Amino acid sequence: MEIDELKEKNLQKQLRKEAIKRNWRLFAQSKLGMIGLGIVSIFLILALLQPFLFMTGIWSESIYHPVVGYDQIIESKLVVECPKEYPTPKYATFSECPAQGEVQKKMLYLAQGVEVGDMYDVYLQPAPPSAKHILGTDSLGRDVFSQIMEGSQVAFVLGLLSATLGVGISTILGTIAAFFGGRIDAYLMRQSDLVLMLPTLPLLFIISAFAELKIWHLAVVLGVLGGLGGSVITIKSQALQVKVKPFVDSARITGGSQRKIMFSHVLPNVAPLALLFMVFSVTGAIASESVLSFLGLLNIDMSWGLMIYLSQTDGFIFSGLEYWWLILPAGLSVTFLAGGFYLVGRGLDDVFNPRLRKR
Amino acid sequence: MVEYIVRRTLQMIVVFFIFLVSSYLLFNAIPGNAFSNLLLNPNLPPDAYQKVLETYGLDKPLFERVQLYVVNFFKGDFGYSYKYFPKTPIELIAERLPRTLMLFSVVNIVAFYTGFFIGKVLAWRRGSKSETWITITSVFSYTVFYPWFALMMLWFFGYKMGWFPIGKFLYPEKWYDAPFDSDVIFAMMIKFVLVVSLIQFAAYTVTRGIESLSSRRNIRFLSLIAIFIGSYFYWNTGEALSRKPYAADIAYHMILPVLVVTIVAFAGTALLTRTTMMEVLKEDYILTARAKGISQKRIRDRHAARTALLPVVTSFIFTIVTIIDGSVLTEQIFSWPGMGQLLLQAVLEEDIPVAMASFSFVGVFALLAHLIADISYSYLDPRIRVKSQG
Repeated sequence: MEIDELKEKNLQKQLRKEAIKRNWRLFAQSKLGMIGLGIVSIFLILALLQPFLFMTGIWSESIYHPVVGYDQIIESKLVVECPKEYPTPKYATFSECPAQGEVQKKMLYLAQGVEVGDMYDVYLQPAPPSAKHILGTDSLGRDVFSQIMEGSQVAFVLGLLSATLGVGISTILGTIAAFFGGRIDAYLMRQSDLVLMLPTLPLLFIISAFAELKIWHLAVVLGVLGGLGGSVITIKSQALQVKVKPFVDSARITGGSQRKIMFSHVLPNVAPLALLFMVFSVTGAIASESVLSFLGLLNIDMSWGLMIYLSQTDGFIFSGLEYWWLILPAGLSVTFLAGGFYLVGRGLDDVFNPRLRKR
Repeated sequence: MVEYIVRRTLQMIVVFFIFLVSSYLLFNAIPGNAFSNLLLNPNLPPDAYQKVLETYGLDKPLFERVQLYVVNFFKGDFGYSYKYFPKTPIELIAERLPRTLMLFSVVNIVAFYTGFFIGKVLAWRRGSKSETWITITSVFSYTVFYPWFALMMLWFFGYKMGWFPIGKFLYPEKWYDAPFDSDVIFAMMIKFVLVVSLIQFAAYTVTRGIESLSSRRNIRFLSLIAIFIGSYFYWNTGEALSRKPYAADIAYHMILPVLVVTIVAFAGTALLTRTTMMEVLKEDYILTARAKGISQKRIRDRHAARTALLPVVTSFIFTIVTIIDGSVLTEQIFSWPGMGQLLLQAVLEEDIPVAMASFSFVGVFALLAHLIADISYSYLDPRIRVKSQG
């Protein structure tokens, strides 16, 4: 008897392993899904690397800390005086003076006894990328690369937390709605109508303008909003399809309790769809966080949206690509991580949605 | 069918009341009681004080306040804006709404057509190299961090190239001696866009029955030319002629926002169309059509795309919900003074009456769009239509 049970357990394990392998093979077939997985794992490595670098002491916190770190980057520049009229042999137009490695004397009115032709030490803030700071420093002398790492931690925490919460809520509610039907179903559907109808962004503005939103609060708000919204309807329809399958009937006939049927027969069959929703809602959560901190509505130390907000309020956005390290990395990070999760979702879609598979 | 619509409408009315009450409770839950902020102002004259008390029923218990709010909502009475004092929130909304509607009706039409076309092609060329590249591009534009992207575009086209204005919706110096205000022009432009798109839609529905692909295309092309000629005459006669330069000014300011939003928004439709197309292409009747030897293009356009259009149209109707929702960012970045900016500014400056009014208004708008989407979906999808009859 015991041997049989053991055998069965082993068999189950083996079956599960094989299922995972098969699904992985299907997933690996979609090129875009693999690209997405690659992007997500790069950001995951970035997020995990920063605490590691701090703990091992490779990076000193006083220099590389994303919020309070500071590094003096000093460059000696030649003091020159710009001519009144152009062109001169040295400078063709007005915009070429002062050239690279030069500083105007007029700008150094606070420094005493500086003459044209001297070398003068200038603090570079923001400093361009160098070996020490891979992506340069921002206008407060903080390392941009470290900020990107911190931002990816925030994005992962927020995205995964809110997605897990949301999908948990919507899976349970959707299954309940499908299973019990009647009034409970009608109530849940109207509730998700109401939530779907709410203009999300204005609602978040209102909440964040009046209550100090921290990253945890935002994750909960986003999770609840996402979990009560449209995904309940989709998961309910999936659960309805599962509910009428023969194995549910046979479970009922053999005397399985309602709870048993719901948790061990219906839920596992809804789970793939829920996973899909989860991956897609991470994209939304990351975007919402960035938008809110871009508008300066979040109470948060550092995030990608905040980096763009800072570079915009400091006026670097319209300086074009001269200060590209303040503008491009943050924006591209948001885009790539959101896109990466989206692509993973697409790959999973191919796995779980058999109608889409190539013949 | 009728029963379904009636039931749905009744449900929506209930949802609407819940929305009103919960939005009031949301504002009421704001710490420091946002309504009484105004009352704390020592310069407030006594009758104004009394008026504020009465309008919002601040001296009454919560339940009566909610009742008062609902009644006031239907009267359109939200008190006065704190910031633009003599104006009421309703006046402000009436002033801002045409601007938002104008911008986003154009954006949505353009984005929908581009998206549907690209999605169709994408699904058709499944597995080819161009499919991968177009997909990557559309995924990029679907997930790109919108404010950042818009700022970059603004920098490039507005600042570096100097082709388009950087913000606002008109050049004030051109409007200095204009005999009317901009809302008149906006209303006119909305009417124009609406009529043009209706004509175009009618042309499409009429030509749908024509069997031959080439003659169908020719007729559609002719209708397009007719629209161009018609609009040329429209803008060059009578009243419209005197308003033309002003309308042109607004249109010029609209180009950049429309371009940017289209780049971002077309991808959603394209990706959705691709997915539904691919599901449709797996159906047996497509195989039958292929076996019959019908040309590829015909299968794509007549057999597959038409069926795939269904969920896409619904999602398009749903995007109406997001018009005002998404307009907040666009309007903030392009300093386009519409509904979204009104709401954001009101929230940031704690101009509670305006914030409440515009939030409720957005909700009502979304609700109506939702109802229309439901009804049209039930009409378009024979499965629902038949089920509700039986």
